[in-house]
Amino acid sequence: MHWLAIHLPALPLEVYTRALEVETPLAVSRRGKVERVLLCNRPAAERGVRPGQPLGGALALAADLRVLPRKPDAERSALERLAAWCARFSSQVSLEPPQALVLEAARSLQLFGGAKSLLGQAAGGVTGLGYAARCCLAPTPGGALVLAAWGGEGLIPDGDSLRAALSRLPLAALDLRERSLADLGHMGLLQVGDLLRLPRSGLAERLGQGPIRHLERLLGEAPDPRRYFEPPARYRGRIELPAELERVDALVFPCRHLLGELAGFLRGRQAGVQRLRWCLYHGDGIEDTGFTLGTARPEGNPARWLDLLRERLERLQLPAPVRAVALDVADIRPLAPGSWELFPGLDCPQAPAPDLLDHLRARLGAESVRGLALAADHRPERAWRWCPPGEAASGGGRGDRPLWLLLEPLPLETRDRRPWWDGELDLGRERERIETGWWDGFDVARDYFVATTGRGERLWIYRELKGPRGWFLHGLFA
Amino acid sequence: MSLDQLINKRQDLWRGRAVSPATPRGVPTGFAALDALLPWRGWPPGALSEILEGRSGAAFALVQPALARLSSEARWLLLIAPPFVPYAPALAAAGLDLSRLAVVEAGNETAWAAEQGLRSGACSAVLAWGGRWETSALRRLQLAAETGGGIALLFRNAAAAREHSPAALRLGVRPSMAGAEVTLLKQRGGGGAGAVLEVPIRERFPLAGARKQTQIPLNAT
Repeated sequence: MHWLAIHLPALPLEVYTRALEVETPLAVSRRGKVERVLLCNRPAAERGVRPGQPLGGALALAADLRVLPRKPDAERSALERLAAWCARFSSQVSLEPPQALVLEAARSLQLFGGAKSLLGQAAGGVTGLGYAARCCLAPTPGGALVLAAWGGEGLIPDGDSLRAALSRLPLAALDLRERSLADLGHMGLLQVGDLLRLPRSGLAERLGQGPIRHLERLLGEAPDPRRYFEPPARYRGRIELPAELERVDALVFPCRHLLGELAGFLRGRQAGVQRLRWCLYHGDGIEDTGFTLGTARPEGNPARWLDLLRERLERLQLPAPVRAVALDVADIRPLAPGSWELFPGLDCPQAPAPDLLDHLRARLGAESVRGLALAADHRPERAWRWCPPGEAASGGGRGDRPLWLLLEPLPLETRDRRPWWDGELDLGRERERIETGWWDGFDVARDYFVATTGRGERLWIYRELKGPRGWFLHGLFA
Repeated sequence: MSLDQLINKRQDLWRGRAVSPATPRGVPTGFAALDALLPWRGWPPGALSEILEGRSGAAFALVQPALARLSSEARWLLLIAPPFVPYAPALAAAGLDLSRLAVVEAGNETAWAAEQGLRSGACSAVLAWGGRWETSALRRLQLAAETGGGIALLFRNAAAAREHSPAALRLGVRPSMAGAEVTLLKQRGGGGAGAVLEVPIRERFPLAGARKQTQIPLNAT
């Protein structure tokens, strides 16, 4: 058995800063008798702020330090989203709040090219999502978690090396009560290894059964069942911004993180999505800015989504600065497996790639990219219709129809009771009567002519057979 | 006797417009006389062509045969900001596969949409009408066409003939009794400029079909 533990040492801070490169000093505080610094970012550390420092002291060092409260809900939801992302490595992911995950990795080792490679991909992936992470691969889940939490990164191949690695940890790494810890300290026991050398029965009498069982689970001597995380059926991600964003282009950075998470979530399910619902929160009672991006096919590739998002953001007008960004995805669909031609040279004509059209729609609006199709109707304005691009049938049509149709027929001026358009029109000898449609309220009674202008242009004009019997221009043959 | 005829008589004279080996083969226009005039033997591939027309939409028929041919490819034909509705029954009858066609309403983003279409490589041809075109925007289109390999056909008002353009080909088109009178305004590599040609569009689109018949539905289902 192999277990991969991912420990997130800076999670309480990262729920704020993951979204942005923050240049100003920031700290998350820990409440207690004296409020202390729990974590701080690099600009704060450079000014001398240290974790554990009383807040007063920290503020004396950096007067512009922004102190943020810890957000347990945001941490928990970040952890859950990360667990969903980890579904790409294993279907058995267990949450270890407040700031760790552990996943059963035995079955994934081969798939990901061995333990070292798996470790590298997991660490790289989590870092790419904007979290600092320590990863440890070990024979027991508890062992991997404790080692990752206490800085023991890397690969622990077997039970013996696990025992050796645990032995080097301080006793505080074990879940012991303060008093037990102090007692053991007085006895000169400082490291886990010191404890392991003592007979277990005597220890159990002194510390109680709990800690001993914990130790046995860490070492793999006792079973350590885990409750696995059930990924939710829909993805919801939200990033709180540490500072208000006024520029639209700066939003790309937090959005990219959400898309990366979504991609892992989707990959674990071999799924894609067609619609992304984005929401930008402004606060102060200002209505949130929401928009939806869509693609023609379920899409799992975050780079494609990012392209579409950039396109949309460029056109966005913000009513107020943005305080948080959220992404909500409900219609998760299985990705169609790519179809591979058996003989690539002999492929039959396929539908062209819809990516370009998605791209155009994202910027110009969903209704601005359309295809044309034939419709079975004699009325010229009903003999065609708009349709989604790529869905029209081929063939058919009429060779005696103009290439251009005027959406609204244009009334023609008449001179001497003959139609006139920049000059006299030659109506030719043929006419086509179209008289139909009385059943649906759009009835048409017209005589159509192909008229030629003095310059040689050919026009499709008609005369109404009822009412004032006016002349209209309806199409251009060119 | 025109200068052209005089020169053509001589066998010992080499003219610059002769096809250089590097000239890629274009997409046949469907009109033999026009193909013969162009060094690509058709619409220049991966390049911008400008078609300057007196009335918007007048030159659409000139590019129909090429579009019909291109519609057999698994790439889009993008029609950006056409002045009227491209009429599906006529397009289908001309042999164009409608499932390859996408009509884009671009507002004032015609240049952007055309550039995206060309650059993507997902279009065999991008046609755009109207709009204002700075020389820099035209150059971007030309580069995008080179990148994506499609043909770019830009329909502009005849007044634009006075402006400089980086297009590989510029044609002026006027209606005529035979169909269209095409003037070669410019082609890459020079040569041939000023040549005038009657393109028999009428022959190509004879408006075949029973037009005398009167159509009255027999039942109303």
